[in-house]
Amino acid sequence: MNPEISSHAASYKDRDGFIFKHRDNFYRCINASYFDNYRLLMQSGLYTQLTKKKWLIPHEEIAGNAELNAEGTIIILPQQIQYISYAYEWGFVMWQDAALLTLNIAREAIEKGMLLKDATPFNIQFINGKPVFIDTLSFEQYNAQQPWVAYRQFCECFVAPLLLQQYCHAEMGKLFTVYPNGIPLELVKSLLPSNAKWNLHNYLHVYLQASVRNGKEKQNTAAAKNFSKQKMLVLLNGLSNYIAKLHPKKGKTTWDDYYDGTILSNNYLQEKTKLVQSFTNSVSFNSIVDLGANDGHFSLLFKNTGKQIVAVDADVNCINALYEKIKKEKITNILPLINTLNSPTPAIGWNNAERTAFSERIKGDMVFALALVHHLAIGCNVPLHLIASWLLPMGKYVLIEFVPKADEKVQLLLQNREDVFDKYTLVDFETVFLQHYKILLQQKISGTERTLYLMEKI
Amino acid sequence: MKYIFLYLDPGSGSYILQVIIAAILGGLMFFKNFWIKVKSFFIKPKEKTAEPEEQDDTTA
Repeated sequence: MNPEISSHAASYKDRDGFIFKHRDNFYRCINASYFDNYRLLMQSGLYTQLTKKKWLIPHEEIAGNAELNAEGTIIILPQQIQYISYAYEWGFVMWQDAALLTLNIAREAIEKGMLLKDATPFNIQFINGKPVFIDTLSFEQYNAQQPWVAYRQFCECFVAPLLLQQYCHAEMGKLFTVYPNGIPLELVKSLLPSNAKWNLHNYLHVYLQASVRNGKEKQNTAAAKNFSKQKMLVLLNGLSNYIAKLHPKKGKTTWDDYYDGTILSNNYLQEKTKLVQSFTNSVSFNSIVDLGANDGHFSLLFKNTGKQIVAVDADVNCINALYEKIKKEKITNILPLINTLNSPTPAIGWNNAERTAFSERIKGDMVFALALVHHLAIGCNVPLHLIASWLLPMGKYVLIEFVPKADEKVQLLLQNREDVFDKYTLVDFETVFLQHYKILLQQKISGTERTLYLMEKI
Repeated sequence: MKYIFLYLDPGSGSYILQVIIAAILGGLMFFKNFWIKVKSFFIKPKEKTAEPEEQDDTTA
């Protein structure tokens, strides 16, 4: 193999293989230690069955490529994924669907004599609006006498974050950024309200296991040898039924009724929608990053168009609602993600390279920054020139709305604070942005003081 | 948090528990299925009459 090829920073744990990038494509190298399992996956019919259901990422084997192939390895080229997202950017239902997919795959695998050796949401990506399992090397031969090696990991990576989002706060999924290998169950136990333990399933999957970590239960792996396929299916079915019934904590968030406000009336929305449509018709682009997408109104204008869209918002309820809509309407080209834009998800994991930062990962031909700049400039004190240089590497075009101080929403932001934003005027905005962009189109949104711009990077 | 057990293999701690959990869930399922059978034995005729009504609702 080409000596310049090295494994991806996130691919260091598994001795059976690794991911690497070569000429814009991501490949997977399978080591000899995994050959038996790989053959079983491919020949048992499991691979065909799972890829047919679109549960597992399809791949093709690469042979006879002198640059890639080396003795004692198999190289596969999986379907390429445009946008990688991580569980701490998902809404509750996305996380729940990923958990259910993991369990469904485990059950299918058992029927074909295999089982998943790990259970982490990093094995799952959302492709065409649905979760897809992407780790082809997670399957190993099933030994019916052994319990599930990934059970505790499943509880720490799926059950724990879902329970915290249900019982504590809808934003608790963010805790996974600090504990990407699983939220310690002892910590989960201490955060959950006391009534949570009166649910038998919560008790079994979280409280009881947390006590094992405490050392109150003796380790006795020998006794576990009495396990059977039937018991395994009971465990997996029990987990599936339990997880399917979980729900996010109800609570009104800031942006729930954004468009119901006074100025943000139907008329405003209609005018803005018309402008967005006519502005975007004037240029050609294949992907959109919709920053501050709210309920996804503007992303949804491009649903099922073939343009790949990432709709980003800090509001968990908005992202949950958008994902539910995507599911219900079978929309294939929108990926809804939770992110606080003044502090986007960082690079985490080993050497800060395992999981990349939001700004490194999410880029598109077109960036939407609709009704966003005033929140960053006034709500978060970010100077206009920093906003411009932040948007710059994200995409060629930017569709951006300037909301002046006279606007009632900006007045709302300023009502309890000193106005120190002398440099927040339309002239300042244009001056700053014209240093990096040229204005292709601009128009005032009728009935408001707001102006919409379509700009292109110089 | 106690870090004494950081040297434990994270998976192995749950092996014995899975035996217990599978037994409890299995028992629960057995009683649930039993209860469903008992219930369906008594309320079977009612369910049959309910079906056409539901269909009427959807076509209305």
